[in-house]
Amino acid sequence: MAVGELRVEAARRPPLVLRIREALDREALLGPLFVTPALLLLVLLVAYPFCMAVYYSLSNAFIGRPSHLTGFTNFVNLWGSDAFRQTFQNAFVFTGASVGLKLVLGISLALLLNQQLWFKRSIRGAVLLPWVIPTALSTLGWSWMFNSLYSVVNWTGLALGLMSPPGPNWLGQKYYAMTAVVAVNVWRGLPFFAITILAGLVAIPKELYEAAEADGAGPFARFWCITLPLLKPVLAIVVLFSTIFTFSDFNIVFVLTHGGPINSTHLFATLARMIGLDTGRIGEGAAISLYLFPVLAFVVWAQLRFVRRQQY
Amino acid sequence: MPSISRRKFLEQSVTAGAGLAGVLASRVAPAVAQPREISYLCWNNFAPASDKKLGEIGQRFTKDTGIKLKIDHIAAPQQAAKYASEVQTQSGHDLVEMRMHVPWLYEPQLVDVSDVVGDLEKKYGKAISSAREAAFVHNAWRAVPQYHAQFVCCYREDLFKKASLKVPDTWEDLYTVGKELKKMGNPLGISISQNFDSISTGYAVMWCHGAVEIDKDGKAVKINSPQTTQVVEWYRKMYRDCMEPEVLSWTDASNNESLQQGKAGWIHNPVSAYIVARDKKLVSADGINHHRSLSGPAGRHETDAPRSIGIWKFSKNVEPAKEWIRYLLGKKDVYDEYIMSGSAFNLPVYANMQDHPVLKTDAKYAALKNEGAQYHTYGWPAPPSDKVQLITNSFILPNMLAKAVTGTATKDAIAWAENEMKKVMAG
Repeated sequence: MAVGELRVEAARRPPLVLRIREALDREALLGPLFVTPALLLLVLLVAYPFCMAVYYSLSNAFIGRPSHLTGFTNFVNLWGSDAFRQTFQNAFVFTGASVGLKLVLGISLALLLNQQLWFKRSIRGAVLLPWVIPTALSTLGWSWMFNSLYSVVNWTGLALGLMSPPGPNWLGQKYYAMTAVVAVNVWRGLPFFAITILAGLVAIPKELYEAAEADGAGPFARFWCITLPLLKPVLAIVVLFSTIFTFSDFNIVFVLTHGGPINSTHLFATLARMIGLDTGRIGEGAAISLYLFPVLAFVVWAQLRFVRRQQY
Repeated sequence: MPSISRRKFLEQSVTAGAGLAGVLASRVAPAVAQPREISYLCWNNFAPASDKKLGEIGQRFTKDTGIKLKIDHIAAPQQAAKYASEVQTQSGHDLVEMRMHVPWLYEPQLVDVSDVVGDLEKKYGKAISSAREAAFVHNAWRAVPQYHAQFVCCYREDLFKKASLKVPDTWEDLYTVGKELKKMGNPLGISISQNFDSISTGYAVMWCHGAVEIDKDGKAVKINSPQTTQVVEWYRKMYRDCMEPEVLSWTDASNNESLQQGKAGWIHNPVSAYIVARDKKLVSADGINHHRSLSGPAGRHETDAPRSIGIWKFSKNVEPAKEWIRYLLGKKDVYDEYIMSGSAFNLPVYANMQDHPVLKTDAKYAALKNEGAQYHTYGWPAPPSDKVQLITNSFILPNMLAKAVTGTATKDAIAWAENEMKKVMAG
């Protein structure tokens, strides 16, 4: 009888939970399932804004007005702006000085933290503080420290006789202003370098140092011939990330100097904001923010290639 | 239980379904169930008591009308970017407080509020010229004039008396006085940085010397002139002999703070520096006073900074938003209360209110009458336009002055500014 056959069929089918479990056991389904949320986030929060930025950069878009494509006009015209040329130079000076200082100080700090110290854990925790505090908040503190009227830096310098009155005008003169933004960036980024390098140091086998010591190698030779070569992959990754973050820094300059004086501390992100939002030329602003994309893409490719070559 | 036929049930289901689909598609709740709520974006007023009063008036408005009002405040330097992001995303606040020529910049995005301004003008007289210049765009009011803040000369009267210094009457007199003040450790405080006070003072000095950025026709860039050279040279010697390099890093608040904290001996600012010193009972408050604006070879000119309230076109609450403006500015007692709360920083912008009682609340506001001074908004004598606002937002004038005082040759600094302005005008 037909009804009886159907019942037999239904009884033979495994329950829904089991069927789902079986389906999830298949890698072809489970893999894409896990990747989909991350992919969706990337598409919505990275790919879509990126494509919009590319579109804007190739157009004469102005806030709230109709626009049309103008090709590479924005990219070409930007070279005619001395604010942009100054920003281009600033970005390299700021990134070069900051990353260089963070690298040297980061290695030194990591070597120090790797020693047997009292309160080692507390010190390591304290070192992370600048990295943990929200950048805008900590930079606001620095802006008070560099403020022309209330500067505690100048007050201390004058009290110790290290400066002559009224002391440096940290945020009002271009070289001092660049020094100030680099100093805050180094202060903030140093923990990232130190802790990551420390992780690399801890992973170096002790036997290598013992063998080198037995062969008569001094501290410098041990650092140069063992520590540094074995840290290279870690250093490459840290420098890679830091270069990208520093090039695209916004908060420190925006809070501390607003790009001034006379555009002498503007970075791509702060100039892009000023042109794109404050003056409404969003197409030009997008072009500024995308200007270094090809260069940074090349840096990423080159450094990752270097890291792969360093694998043992 | 009343019976329901199958036909009736189907009819009702279809009607309800269509209604629900309509609500979902339009993403707007039915009028009966919709709470009336509006949001209003303002700046952090330099007379903080007026922000507090605005909040109180807002609460009364909600009580009287049933319309919920959310007031947000942001710092003045962030306003431009905030307007831009709200327009670009077509979302954000219903009402925005605007300064200078911003209504020109966002004309296509702003609701025509001529009906509201018409009612206010019937009641209080015509809007003053600076308010009209700022918000009357191509024959329609794109924002409702709210108040204006006049720039005056704020000085430490006690220090002047102590050193027997004469209150200056011209910008050249100020140089003479400034040299003495700097020697006393109380330099002049004129910002030369990327902020709006720098522009306000820069314009006043330029107009008094006969220099302009753009011609009367609103097209030709006229900054490269002998008069501008005079202005730049004046700034150069002022920076060298009367000020400290700190002015290159100042924000809009810095000159106020310098005067309040007892450092600056003279600043160019609205009366807010004094109001805050007085309200916070700072020791400098008693010594601060104001004197009339300074003159130059081309007369006595001063900067006026009008503010207005606009309603974005994307707002779904245009009528409730207009109702709030009518409540705040259209009720005489409420408008008076609001003006009084800002001391003499927020001055009324309608003709019949110009002799407002707020001016008599403190003898130190006498200078605000400023007889003989001509007030202008940014960009004068060029007619108001979006280009003027773009030149303002690009900080070309303060950057030109900063370049000159830090070593760039006068002609090069002016040529740079001319080139930048031409680019804005061509764009």
